[in-house]
Amino acid sequence: MKNKLIYLLLVVLVSLSSCTDDFEQLNTNPYQITDESLKQNFNHIGAFFPSLLKPIIGHQTHHNLINDSYVRHFGTPTPFVGGVNNTTYYIRWNDNYWNTLYGSIMSPSKQVIDIAEADGYEMFVEWANLIRVVVASRATAFYGPLIYSNYGKTPAMYDSEEDLHTTFFAQLDKIVSTFSAKTDYSGFKDFDATYNGSIPHWIKLANSLRLQLAVRISKVNPTLAKAQAEKAFKDPGGLITTNDDNFNISLYGTPMQEVTISFSWGDTRMSASMESILGGYDDPRAGKYWDSVDGSLVTDHPTFPYKGIRNGALLGAKGLRQPYSNISSNFKTATERKVLDAAEVHLCLAEGVLRGWDITGTAEAHYKMGVKASFAYWGAGGVDTYLANSTGTPLNYDDVIAEGDVNDFTTRITNTVAWDEAASNEIKLEKIITQKWIASFTNSVESWVDHRRTGYPKLPYNYKNDSSTSPFGTVADDDFLRRHPFPQKETTGNPTGVADAITKLSNGKNEIGTRLWWDTGVESNF
Amino acid sequence: MKQKIKQTLMATCFLLSGVIFAQVKTVAGTVTDSDGVPLPGASIVLTETNEGSTTDFDGNYSISAQEGATVEFSYVGYESQQVVVGEGSTINVTLVQGNALSEVVVTSFGIKREEKTLAYSTQTVDSEQLTQARDISIANSLNGRAAGVEIRKSSSGAGGSTKIVLRGNKSLSGNSQPLIVIDGVPMVNNVGGQPGMWGGIDEGDGLSQVNPDDVESITILKGANASILYGSQGANGVVVITTKSGEEGDTKITFNSGITFESVIALPELQYDYGRAAGEDESWSPTKNAAAANGEFVDDFFQTGVNYVNSVSVSGGNKTTTAYFSYYNATSGGIMDNFGYKKNNLSFKQSTKFFNDKMTLSSNIILTEEQTDNRGPSGYYLNPLIGLYTFPRDGSWSSMKTYQTFNAATNVMDQNWVGNNHFQSNPYWLMNNQPKEDKVQRAIGSVNLAYQISEKLSLKARASYDFANKSYEQQHAAGSNQTNTGSNGRWDYKKFNDELFYSDAILSFNDNYGDFSVNAIAGASLQQTTFGSGVNVTTGSDGELFYANEFNFQNIPANIQVQSTLGSQIEKQAVFGNVVVGYKDAIFLDISGRNDYASTLAGTGNDSYFYPSVGASFVLSQLMELPSQISFLKLRASSASVGNEVPYNRISPTNTINASGGVVRNTQTPFTNLKPEMIETFEIGLDLRLFNNKLGLDVAYYDITSSDQFLSLAAPSGSGYTSYFVNAGKIVNNGIEVTITNSIIDTANFKWNSTLNITQNTNEIVEIHPDIANLGTGASEGFQSRFQKGGSIGDFYTKMFKRDAQGRIEMVDGTPLTTATDELGGNAEPDVSLGWANNFNIGENLSVGFIINAKFGGKVFSQTESMLDGNGVSLRSGQARDAGFVAVNGVQGGVAVSQADPKTWYQATGDRIGIGESYIYDRTNIRLSQMSIAYKLDPIKLGLPVDNATISVIGNNLFYSAVAPFDPELAMSTNRNSQGLDNFNLPSTRTIGMNLRLTF
Repeated sequence: MKNKLIYLLLVVLVSLSSCTDDFEQLNTNPYQITDESLKQNFNHIGAFFPSLLKPIIGHQTHHNLINDSYVRHFGTPTPFVGGVNNTTYYIRWNDNYWNTLYGSIMSPSKQVIDIAEADGYEMFVEWANLIRVVVASRATAFYGPLIYSNYGKTPAMYDSEEDLHTTFFAQLDKIVSTFSAKTDYSGFKDFDATYNGSIPHWIKLANSLRLQLAVRISKVNPTLAKAQAEKAFKDPGGLITTNDDNFNISLYGTPMQEVTISFSWGDTRMSASMESILGGYDDPRAGKYWDSVDGSLVTDHPTFPYKGIRNGALLGAKGLRQPYSNISSNFKTATERKVLDAAEVHLCLAEGVLRGWDITGTAEAHYKMGVKASFAYWGAGGVDTYLANSTGTPLNYDDVIAEGDVNDFTTRITNTVAWDEAASNEIKLEKIITQKWIASFTNSVESWVDHRRTGYPKLPYNYKNDSSTSPFGTVADDDFLRRHPFPQKETTGNPTGVADAITKLSNGKNEIGTRLWWDTGVESNF
Repeated sequence: MKQKIKQTLMATCFLLSGVIFAQVKTVAGTVTDSDGVPLPGASIVLTETNEGSTTDFDGNYSISAQEGATVEFSYVGYESQQVVVGEGSTINVTLVQGNALSEVVVTSFGIKREEKTLAYSTQTVDSEQLTQARDISIANSLNGRAAGVEIRKSSSGAGGSTKIVLRGNKSLSGNSQPLIVIDGVPMVNNVGGQPGMWGGIDEGDGLSQVNPDDVESITILKGANASILYGSQGANGVVVITTKSGEEGDTKITFNSGITFESVIALPELQYDYGRAAGEDESWSPTKNAAAANGEFVDDFFQTGVNYVNSVSVSGGNKTTTAYFSYYNATSGGIMDNFGYKKNNLSFKQSTKFFNDKMTLSSNIILTEEQTDNRGPSGYYLNPLIGLYTFPRDGSWSSMKTYQTFNAATNVMDQNWVGNNHFQSNPYWLMNNQPKEDKVQRAIGSVNLAYQISEKLSLKARASYDFANKSYEQQHAAGSNQTNTGSNGRWDYKKFNDELFYSDAILSFNDNYGDFSVNAIAGASLQQTTFGSGVNVTTGSDGELFYANEFNFQNIPANIQVQSTLGSQIEKQAVFGNVVVGYKDAIFLDISGRNDYASTLAGTGNDSYFYPSVGASFVLSQLMELPSQISFLKLRASSASVGNEVPYNRISPTNTINASGGVVRNTQTPFTNLKPEMIETFEIGLDLRLFNNKLGLDVAYYDITSSDQFLSLAAPSGSGYTSYFVNAGKIVNNGIEVTITNSIIDTANFKWNSTLNITQNTNEIVEIHPDIANLGTGASEGFQSRFQKGGSIGDFYTKMFKRDAQGRIEMVDGTPLTTATDELGGNAEPDVSLGWANNFNIGENLSVGFIINAKFGGKVFSQTESMLDGNGVSLRSGQARDAGFVAVNGVQGGVAVSQADPKTWYQATGDRIGIGESYIYDRTNIRLSQMSIAYKLDPIKLGLPVDNATISVIGNNLFYSAVAPFDPELAMSTNRNSQGLDNFNLPSTRTIGMNLRLTF
C-alpha cells in the first residue's frame, strides 16, 4: 500500500514535469500580431509602413515649441517652465525628434528591411530607405552629426554632416534606380495612404528630396549641390511640380497636432512674424492659416484681423494671449499634412537658377509657379494681385497686451513680393526664401534650415533670451539658436560616440550656438 | 550481562503478553504546547521497545501500542511526558515548555519547524501585534515589527498599495517585492497602476484585500535560503500569512468594532500674503496684496476622515471537525471630501478528520469586495492639490467653491478657475467632476488533503484558486482643464481578471535513528497564472469623445482603440525536496533543491533549471556547558542560489496593431538564449538568549548577489533596436539585521516586552552590462532614477547648481546656473532602519503598546516644493520678499554675491524643471508610528454576557520628526521608479481612534 502510494506520487511528479509542450504558446501574447499571421494577405512587410510614415512630423515638443518657434511660425502664449524654455533659448525639450528618428524609424525599418531583403522584396527595402532619408535629413537639421551609416554597430559612431548628406544622395540613387525599373509595381497599394501605391510618385518624391538637400548644401559645397540638383531636375521620373504630386502624410484619423495644441491645450497661437509678413504683404493665405480675432486687438491694422505672439516673448499669464489668432478652425477637419510639396520644389528651382544650375526656366517663372502652387494648395485666391505687389512690406509689431514696447519689434524686412528682375541675386533670394517660409506653414523644418543657411526671411530676434543662464552655450541677442545639443541619454549612454561627434561640429562645441555644416556663417549667399 | 538478561526477560514478557492479550492497537492524537499550538516533529517512543514515531506538521501522530504500554512524548525545549496507554485510542498531550527555547515557525508550504533547526533567519509577528493598530491594510502593520523589512506605504489613503522589500532591492528589472503566501499557497499581490511625475493614481495591491483579523501570524522568510522551496517567486523573500482556524471546543465568537479619525499632520509651509502681479498667473507680486479673507485656506480644505472597522469571527469544532467563519467590514472616509473606501471580507475555513483521523480534509474560502472612490492622485495632472496649494493668493478662495459655471456658448458646465495653467484645476471641480471608481471582487478558495500514510510518512496535497475581477474607471467631465481632458471629456476604463491556480503534493518523512533525526520532504507543484486579462480603453489627450459627458464604448471615435489586454500568462512547474538531519537535537544540516520549469523561458533550452541550498545550525547551548546566564545559543549558516524566471512574453514578443490599422513593428532584439536570473545568498547568524530567555539577541549577516539579471535596456540610439534584453548585471546587497528582544521586567503587576529591530543594508550595482554604463528607469523633467555602474538601486539624478572652485553658485543676471547634465542627487534608501516595538502590561488589565520607527540616511526629492517656489506660494518665497532678498553664496562675474532677487532666484531653482539640488532632503526621520492602550474590562463585574471585553485607544503615525518638508516615508509610487519622490502627494496623516473587542 505504502509503496503503491509513493509510486503513484512519483508518477504524478514525473507527469507534471513533463508537460511543458505548450510553454511556447503560453508565452506568446495572443493580442499581438505575429509575423506568421501577418503573412496572410501578404501584410508581413507592408503593414509596417503606415507606422513608419505617420511619425515623420511630430507633436508639440518635436516641432511646435522647437522649430516652429525658432522659425517664427507659431508663438506660444504659455510661459512653460517659468517662461524659461526652448522658445527663449533654454533647452528643456531636446530628445523628441531624435526619438522619432531612432525609435520610430531607424529601428523598425531595420527589421522591415531585413525581412524584405530576406524575402526578395527590394521595392519595399528601398521604400523603407526613402523614409529613412526623409526623416534623417530632417533630424540632422536639429542636431548635426547623426548615427547613420554605423547604425546597428557598436560603438555607435556618428557620421559627419557631410558624410550624412553624401550617404543620402547615394541612397537616393539606389532608390530611384530601383523604383524606375519597376514603375508598374503594385505592392505598395494597400499600405500607401499618400500615393495609393503609385511608384512614379515615389520617384518624384525621391527626386524632389534630392533637390531639397542639394539646395540645403549649396553654400557649403556648391559643386556637389549643383551636380545633385541637376541630377534631380533631369531625372526622367521628374519632380513634384503640381499639388497632385505633393508628398502628404495621412493623419490616420487623429487630429492635426497643431489643432490639439491650439484648441484643446491653448498652447499655441499665430506668431508675430506671421502677422508682420502676411499682414504687410496682404497675404490671402492668412485666412486659410489663422482664425481672425476681435478688432480691439488689431487697431493698428484693422483690415488684417489676425494677431500673433512674438517668439521668445516676455509672457506673463497664459490666459493673456489666448484671444490671439488660433490656427484656422478649418484644420480641424484636416486628414493629411504636407511634407514636401510643389511650392517648395518650384522655389528650390528658382534658387537653383539664381545659382547658375542647369535648370530649365527662369528664376522668376519658378518663383511665380511656387507661389501659385502654394495659393492653390491652401485654396487662397488673388495670387496675381499678390505677386504684383511691389509696395507692401511687412508690418511692425505691437504686442497689445504687453505694456510699452515690451515684445514689440520693427520689421527688418524691406523687400516686397513682386519679382524684380533687375534686383540683385540677394534680393531675389530673399523673396524666394520668404515665400518658401510662408508656403511651408505646418511643415517648417526646411524653412528653419533655410533661415539659418541664408538669413532669410529677416526674422525678429528673441525678445527674451535665457541662453546665458543655460548650460548649453549662449546665443547672442542679435542672433538665433543654431542647433540642438545631443540628447543627454546619448552623452551619458554613448560617450565615445558623442565625443567623436562633437569633434565633427564646426566649432567643436555641443552647444546651441554652434553652426551646422551648411550654415556657413557667411552673410553673402552668392 | 545483567542488562541483557533483563532485556530478554522483558522482551519475552512483552511477547507473551502480546500473545495473551493480543491488544495491539493504534493510538493517535495531537501533541501541542500549552497554548494549543501543535508541535511538529515531536517524538513519541514506547519506552519498553524504543519503537517510535514523530508528529506531523499539525502535531498529529499515531503509533501502534498496546494497553498498559508507556509512551514517552518529548520535544526539544519541553519537559517530556510519559503516558500509559489506556482503553481509549486517543491520547492528546500538552507539553510544557522547559528551559531551552523551542519556538515553532511556519516555513515554506506551511511546514512547521522548530526554530532551532533553521539555518536561516525568520521573524514572526503574531495577530495581536498585527491588529493592535487596527490598520485596514495588514502590510502596514508590519512596519517596524521585523528587521530587514522595508515598508513604504502609498500616500494615496486607505487601501492603497504598500511596497515591501526584504533585505534590499535585488532586481534591476523587477520590483523586488516578496512573494505573499497565505496558508502555504501563493497569493496574488499584483500592484496596480502607479502615479508618475505627470499624474496618475495608485491602484492598490492584492494584500490590502486580506482581512487583518483573520491573520493568526505572519512569518517573514527574508532570504532565499528560507524561501528556496518556493523557487523563483520566493527569490525576494516570502511573507507567510497563516490564517486562523477553528478550534476544538466551545464555540468562540470574537467581535471587534472600531472607529478611527484620520487627520492631516504635515502640510507644505506656504505663504498667504503675496498674490499675483498684474498679467501673471503665479503669486509673485513683490508687495503684499492678498485678500486677507482667504486665511490659511489650505488647512481648512482637508477634512477629518472617519474610518470604521467592524469584524466578527466564529470559531469552534469537535474532535473531527473544526470550522472558522469571519466577516469584516471597513470603510474609510479619507481626508478629502470625495474619497471613499470600503471593504467587505468573508472567510470560511473548515477542517475534518476521517479514516481513523488519518486523513484530514480542510478547505478555506475567502471572498473580498473592495471599492475605492476617488483615491488621491499624485503628480502634475488633474491633481486637486496643485490647484489648492498654488491658488493665486489675491484670488477669492471662497468663490472657488462654486466650482462650475454655465457656458452658454456650449451649453456645458465649465470649470471655474483663475488663470489658465495646465497643471492647475479647481480642486472642488476635480473632486466632483472626475469620478474615479476602482473595484475589486476576489475569491480565493483552497482545498487541502493530508494523509498520514504511516507513522513516519505522510502525504499532503492541495489546490488553490485565486480569482479577482478588477475594474478601474475614471470619467473626466467636459469643461475641465482642456490640456488634460479634451473638450468633450475623457474616459479611462479598464476591466480585467487576475487568476492563479496552484496545486502541490508533498510527501514527508520523519524518523529517528539513535542520535539522528531525519525530516525530509519531496514534492511537486504546478502554478498557472493569468493576469490582466481583459479590456482597456483610454481616450488620451489627443482623443475626443463624440458627445460630451457620455462615458461608454459607443461614444468612442474610430481613432481610439479598445484594446484586449493580457498582462501575462505563465505556467510554472517544479519538483523540490528538502532534508533536515539532526544530531542529538543540537546540530542540524539542512539541504534543499528545486527544479523549475518555466513557460517564460520556453524555446531557450533553459526552461528547466535547478538550484540548491545548504545550511546548518548548531545549538551550542545543547552541545556544551555554557554559563548559566546563557539559556540558549545557536549559530547558523546557510547558502542558497535561486533561479528566477524572466517576465512573460520576452523571448519572442511580436507586433502591435495601432489605432489606424497599421502595425507597429516590435523593435526589441530577438533573444532566444535567455537564461534564468540567479540570486545567490549567503547568510550567517547567531541567536542568543540570556537570563532564562528574558533577553534575546539575534544577529544576521547576509550577502546576496544577483547576477544574470534580466534587463530590458533602452538601446543606445545607434544600436539597431529601441530596446534589448540581456542577462547581465550584478547587484550585491549585504547587510546586518539585529533583533533584540527583552522581557526582563516581568513582575506580577508590571511587564515590559520590547523588540528592537535594526537593519542596515548596502546595495551596490557592481555591473550592468559591458556595453552600458547606466540604465535609466524613468526620467521625468527634473528627476530621474538611474542605475549606474558602481551606484545603488534607488539612486536619483537631478540638476545641481554650477559652482566655482570655492563652492559658490555661479550666477548670471542674478540667475543661478545649473550643471548641464543631471548629477547624482542621492539614494532613496536609508542607511539604517530602526523599529522599536514595546508592550507594557500594568496590573491585570491594562496594557500599553507603542512602536517607534526611525530611518537614518537616504535622500528624498520634492517636486512639490520646487513647484511651490516657482509659483511664489512657498513660505520661503514670502519670507524672502519680506526680507527683500534670498541669502545666497553666489558669484557673478567674479564678484561674490550674497543676495538674490526672490522671484529670479526661485523661478530659476523651482518650477517644473528647476535646479533640483534645492529640493533634495535627508530622509532621516523618527516617528511614533503606533500606540495603543488597551484595558480589559471585567465582564462579570459589569454584568456583561461576554467572556472577555477589551477596550482600546489606538493611534497610528502619531508624530514624526523629519528634515524633509514632507513625510519621507510616504511613497508616491510603490513600484520600482520614482522612489523618494514627492510630487503633490497626499499629505501625511495621523489616525486616532478606539476599538472594542468582545469574545463570547
